[in-house]
Amino acid sequence: MDMYAVRTLRSQPLRLMLTIGGVALCIILMFFLVSVYRGVADGSVDYIRENNADLWVLQHNATNILRSSSLIQAAQGKKIRPISGVESVSPVLLILASIKKGDNERTVFLTGFDPEKGLGGPPRLKAGRSVLNDDEIVLDRAFAKKFKFKLGDTVGIQKHSLEVVGISTGTNAFVIQYAFVTLRFAQKIIGFPGLATCCLVKIKKGHPIAEAAGNIRKELPGMEVYDHETFLKNNIQEMESGFLPLLYTVAVIGAVVLTVVLSLLLSVNILEKRKDFAVLKTLGSPKGFLGRLIIEQALLISLAASAVALVFFFPLVLVIEQISPEVSTKSTVEQVITVIFVVMIMSLISSFLSIRRLRRIYTLEAFR
Amino acid sequence: MKTFENNSRVVELTDVSKIFGSNEHKTSAIKHVSLHASSGELLLLLGPSGSGKTTLLTLIAGLLEPTSGTISLFGRNIESYSAKELQEIRALRIGFVFQTFLLIDSLTVAENVGIVLRFAGKTKKESRRQVIRLLRQLHIDHLANTFPQTLSQGEKQRVAVARAIANGAELIIADEPTGSLESKQGFEIIQLLKTYSKEEKRCVIIVSHDLRITEFADRILRMEDGKLIQSNE
Repeated sequence: MDMYAVRTLRSQPLRLMLTIGGVALCIILMFFLVSVYRGVADGSVDYIRENNADLWVLQHNATNILRSSSLIQAAQGKKIRPISGVESVSPVLLILASIKKGDNERTVFLTGFDPEKGLGGPPRLKAGRSVLNDDEIVLDRAFAKKFKFKLGDTVGIQKHSLEVVGISTGTNAFVIQYAFVTLRFAQKIIGFPGLATCCLVKIKKGHPIAEAAGNIRKELPGMEVYDHETFLKNNIQEMESGFLPLLYTVAVIGAVVLTVVLSLLLSVNILEKRKDFAVLKTLGSPKGFLGRLIIEQALLISLAASAVALVFFFPLVLVIEQISPEVSTKSTVEQVITVIFVVMIMSLISSFLSIRRLRRIYTLEAFR
Repeated sequence: MKTFENNSRVVELTDVSKIFGSNEHKTSAIKHVSLHASSGELLLLLGPSGSGKTTLLTLIAGLLEPTSGTISLFGRNIESYSAKELQEIRALRIGFVFQTFLLIDSLTVAENVGIVLRFAGKTKKESRRQVIRLLRQLHIDHLANTFPQTLSQGEKQRVAVARAIANGAELIIADEPTGSLESKQGFEIIQLLKTYSKEEKRCVIIVSHDLRITEFADRILRMEDGKLIQSNE
């Protein structure tokens, strides 16, 4: 690292601090969006990922449960049960429903499941227990925190009152949260007792899952039968084609802003120090020497800004999660490394943009 | 006045002209100038502002190309040097002294002098050692870690001279080196350049309109309106 690169930056401390601050904000934005992406991506499909079902049986052409309509007769489960290799079948009904507390109404992704079989219930419980009766409900942790629900509270769905018996995690899909009730209660809510969204099938240990899936397809032609991995993949694809690309777009805008801010500072530095550069050229600076100085400055600023961003990012996430618990974030070392790597690439791009200005500085300027 | 042998010639200009612009905006900065300068010689180019002195210096240093005529630098036609060779020549064989010193404010004195050694490929450690030795010779080693803003004008020009000679330059090009100095400081600087020229057998070309320094010159050339009008050879 050449001292000139460092000292030139330090000669304007306020400007340097503002630039590092600006770049750090862009990096924080990128960290945040990537963390939200991961949090939402995981939160949206954790219900499926952590489900013990081996097969998911849905209506014809339905590929997922996030943004696809599937309505089947719950009685289809009775046809699946005797098929070779099937251990148990559990119909699940997923509907949008409003939960009332006082005068407030909040929408949840109400999931009705069979409590006796357990398939389709909350993936993880943070507090309390799962539902056993029709007048009980399990709420998502973020939902409960945001709307101040706690164990033992009574919530209203339509004209029914339910007691909050459990708080679940892995059930926050950012724009909406899961809530769990009995299948019977969910069917009562929509007014069609025999309906379900899908049937979750558990296959006997050691029995080939593909063979069982083939047998179900034969028995129930026109139904969609997915193994766990395929169904998870379908749902991830659905989610990623939804609003998540927007997060990436904003992250890209953050990266572009970072490049612009950095280019601006480097260009201003070059213009301010153009006499220095002209002198260095006259004195015989080797090809690439001045360009290297600019690259070093860009990398220095980016490294400092990354450090600042890391210091402020995690406390900031805690504050945001306190204010908006439904904002689900997940940060990993890989994400941090990826973002910093992208920042370094953008720094190089910004330095290359600025280096072009060096070509318009002439040795003769030293003699003026 | 000492006569210098042809074979030690560092610079030779033959019928050199330099025209800026074209058509009706044409300006002839240098008109048919022929001159030479040799090792161990201190050549003084005198002339008023706008006489073309500085343009002549930049032509000699290879920073500008002549419109016509030939310039020989270190025994080779300057046009035959590639851009990279000219950059290496400026880094290794030519030293520059400017009227306003043009030291880099964000670097210390030692770093200002050492930067040309870095251009010459020396390591930081090597250049630091060499710089300290040179600053000691010029009696400014106590300034090594100070920044140019804190120096007097005379000290700044001493540092500039140190930078010019740090690589053992065979040709020193000094553009109005006393222009920003008081008489005493100006004399000291010219004396420094004269000593370097004599002791190290180096060629020093000074451009100035300061008549007080003529006594130090081995030869004096006078310029006016881009032409050499008088020589004391």
